[in-house]
Amino acid sequence: MKTEDKFDLPQGTLDLLIMRVVALGPIHGYAIAQRIQQMSREALQVQQGSLYPALHRLEYKKLLAATWKPSETGREAKFYELTAKGRTHLKTESENWRRLTDVVGLILKGTLEGTS
Amino acid sequence: MSWLQRLFARKRMEIELDKELRFHFESQVADKVRSGISESEARRLTRLEFGGIEQIKENCRESGGTLWLESLAQDVGYGLRQLRKSPGFTFIALLSLTLGIGANTAIFTLLDAILLRPLPVQSPKELLLFGHGDAQGSTSVIPNGSWNLFSYSFFHDFRQKDTSFSGTAAVDSTQFATKASIAGAAYQTTHINLVSGSYFSVLGVSAFLGRTIGESDDSAADAGPVAVASYSWFQRQFDGDRSALGKTIRIQSHDYTLVGVARPGFDGFTVGQSTDLWIPLSMEKEFSRPGWNGLGDRFFQSLYLIGRLKPGVTAAQASAETNLLFKQILRSYLGSQPPQKHLDDLAHASVELTPGGRGVSNLRRAFSMPLKVLMAIVALVLLIACANIANMLLARGVARTREVAVRMALGASRRRIVFQLLTESVLLAFLGAVAGVALAWKASVVLLNMATPGPDPVPLNLTPDMAVLGFTLGVATLTALLFGIVPAFRATGLEFTPALKDGGGSSSTTRGVLARSLIVGQVALSVVLLVVAGLFVRSLLHLSDVDTGFDKHNVLVFSLDSSTANLPRGTPDEIHSVQLQEQIEDRVQTVPGVQSDSFALFTFNEGAWGDQVLFQGVPRTPENGQEVLFNNVGDGFFSAMSIPLIDGRTFNAHDTQGSPQVAVINETMARRFFPHGLAVGRRFGMGTPDRPDEIEVIGVVKDAKYTELDEGTLMAAYFPCTQKPGFYGNLIVRFGAGANPQEIISRTRSSIAKINPNILVNSVGSLEEQVDDSIATQSLIARLSGFFGTLAVFLACIGVYGLLSYSVALRTSELGIRFALGAQSRTVLWMVLRECILLLVLGLSIGVPVALSSTRILKSLLYELSPLDPMAISTAVATVAVMTIAAAWLPAWRATKIDPMRALRAE
Repeated sequence: MKTEDKFDLPQGTLDLLIMRVVALGPIHGYAIAQRIQQMSREALQVQQGSLYPALHRLEYKKLLAATWKPSETGREAKFYELTAKGRTHLKTESENWRRLTDVVGLILKGTLEGTS
Repeated sequence: MSWLQRLFARKRMEIELDKELRFHFESQVADKVRSGISESEARRLTRLEFGGIEQIKENCRESGGTLWLESLAQDVGYGLRQLRKSPGFTFIALLSLTLGIGANTAIFTLLDAILLRPLPVQSPKELLLFGHGDAQGSTSVIPNGSWNLFSYSFFHDFRQKDTSFSGTAAVDSTQFATKASIAGAAYQTTHINLVSGSYFSVLGVSAFLGRTIGESDDSAADAGPVAVASYSWFQRQFDGDRSALGKTIRIQSHDYTLVGVARPGFDGFTVGQSTDLWIPLSMEKEFSRPGWNGLGDRFFQSLYLIGRLKPGVTAAQASAETNLLFKQILRSYLGSQPPQKHLDDLAHASVELTPGGRGVSNLRRAFSMPLKVLMAIVALVLLIACANIANMLLARGVARTREVAVRMALGASRRRIVFQLLTESVLLAFLGAVAGVALAWKASVVLLNMATPGPDPVPLNLTPDMAVLGFTLGVATLTALLFGIVPAFRATGLEFTPALKDGGGSSSTTRGVLARSLIVGQVALSVVLLVVAGLFVRSLLHLSDVDTGFDKHNVLVFSLDSSTANLPRGTPDEIHSVQLQEQIEDRVQTVPGVQSDSFALFTFNEGAWGDQVLFQGVPRTPENGQEVLFNNVGDGFFSAMSIPLIDGRTFNAHDTQGSPQVAVINETMARRFFPHGLAVGRRFGMGTPDRPDEIEVIGVVKDAKYTELDEGTLMAAYFPCTQKPGFYGNLIVRFGAGANPQEIISRTRSSIAKINPNILVNSVGSLEEQVDDSIATQSLIARLSGFFGTLAVFLACIGVYGLLSYSVALRTSELGIRFALGAQSRTVLWMVLRECILLLVLGLSIGVPVALSSTRILKSLLYELSPLDPMAISTAVATVAVMTIAAAWLPAWRATKIDPMRALRAE
């Protein structure tokens, strides 16, 4: 079963998106997936196969912390939140991302103008 | 969470992971139900969307940080189960690894103990030895080349002038086995070494008890009647009792006080000889031995010198200063008007400073080359064993295709499976290594005893130390990677979907190429090893066939010790020793069965004493200017040794202390000095004599071997004991063919005891043993290389057998069809054998050239044999060919017995 993203996410981007969603407050894995889907206006669909390894990786790197709490349905769920380290990481990474997209966009635009 | 906590929290983590994914799953199902899909349909859809839940779990586990310890524990457990499941494979693999790694460890243990290991002294790297330490004994020659032995005077004068060393120590190059008595108890053999007062401080060896020898003990002649014991001797004699300090030890006829015990582990400067007691060099004169009282003699050179470099001084600076001082000091010893020859000699003299941290050892010279060759041989054997195991693993890999495919389908990553398969290999190698170390522990001791036969074992510590264990660990890891890595990657590189379908391998052709090249390599290596073994065996046969010139059968050699008999030394009374010998000779002659007997300074392979000689009226030529070996013998020597007389007479009762000096010489000496004339009646002198008419030749005897079987043709001269007085510890006894040697030994012992009860018999051996022991190293190399060569061929045969059995099994249906279509057994037999012969020819065409180009390095170890000996090479090729084809015969024969009906039905 291949991923069904509408387009491929660049390497490392998923981590950034997850952290951005978690930054809004404690949230469990299923909600993270749904939130990303909503926020991308259905353009991104995160597969469980990528989401959970990413969450565990971020938790291992101490960028996320997790606690077990009852969810809205009453069942126990694992809620993730950003650690202090995660917060600074998110800030620098978002800044990097913004600069990268600006630069890439600039060049792509320039090239298109040059060839047209 | 640390990895250690993780290991224990593993179970909880698994539950949580499961719970988390289940929550996601249920939420997704719930959402679908809410949008109007039936629950069972929602579950089905969600399951499809989820994909392999185990795969997600495995990815989570891996991304959750280092899992290596838990995976390792799992893999080891799994690996052990796998190994237990196929006992045949495990047994053969472990056996070849144990032998391979064990042999490597055993040889390395010896190599380490003899060649590599530093002495247990302080900062061994700072120590420099003067010379190479490969001379032993004493010499009075004016230094005329690279110099190894130094006089006590030189040691004193040098250390007063030098500025390079923070300290210099001297130690007698010879360690003496003599008799000592503790506080009046019985005399026992004790190994004693004379050392300077600076010895312990320069080496940095402290006292375990009491004190070590100090400068004040060595300040003047007779200043220090004290002894320091080695820790092991102290433990042996006193069982650790501290009241031993202050006890009197009588060595020969002098008393010494035991003042201390050296640090445990330090057994002296010579590797392979343990010292029991150290006494100061100041006592050299009291420590009686014939002719050795050289403290004051400036050219009595018998000491090794060891210096400890000052911080900041380089070895090159020290060497420059040492050589300058060496020549200055020796020049001052020669006086104001030395002969020109002495000045010329001195001009050629030099001292080479060599690393001294490993001590000196005469084992080193004898064993360094053989040990290196053996190390190479056992490394190749291990390589062959690795190839075998790799081949078996490749075959197993195909057999396990299904297992691997299932595990990958269940979500195991390729890396994980490679790791798991490698763990199995490492496990095998380490099990082999453990068994190998145990084997090597025993084997290295056995090897050492085989290489150095004699009544006393060579004291070398062969307990595996860190260096040896490290080596074995390295070898084991390397072998595991060598035989494990390719099969592991090959096993996981399969397209696993077809593998799941029918369980047959799909990459068997590439496996075939790899397996076949391994076989070719094995054949090539075993040819090389067999050629080497053949060369050593043939060389040994040549050596054993050497004509010794004497009859080694039916001769006993008694080694006698007179140190407690208080015999006169260095005085005119010394002739009493000779008279004592003659009494013993006469008495032993009356023992029934004894044909003849005689004392001698040397028998065979016991060292040598020699010099140039000059005959009156014969000019010196390069031929006759070579060294002549001397021996002092009793009247019955030539008949006891069965050395035939060619001309003149041998010694008799008329040759006495007072009569003109006489000698018997060998044929070669007679021929070199008098190619055309008679030697009997001519006169010569020893050295560069003032009187070249001192000694008259009275007889010529046939040539013999003196120090070694491979020594070539040497000149030799014999003198009667009466004219070179001294007590010579070898009593040679020839007995009749029918006599019982045991009875002769006991009767000879009692005869000696009756003449003088203080003459002790140290050991008794046969002359035949002496000859055999002289080639013990060569015989050990021949035996070991033969053993390993055979082992190599045997391993290669297992490889060939395994490969062909496997390929016959794979081709069962094909062969069945061939038979059904009317193929002859003979054709099928040939088909299978053809494959083996192709591999054999390829292997030989690689192995023989390799052997031809590499055996040259063995030249120095071969006696009268070319390293390209056609006999050895053709034997090796024939053996490998016959063995390989024999190994292929069984699977080939089995192929001819395939029942076509059954083979086709199996399809």
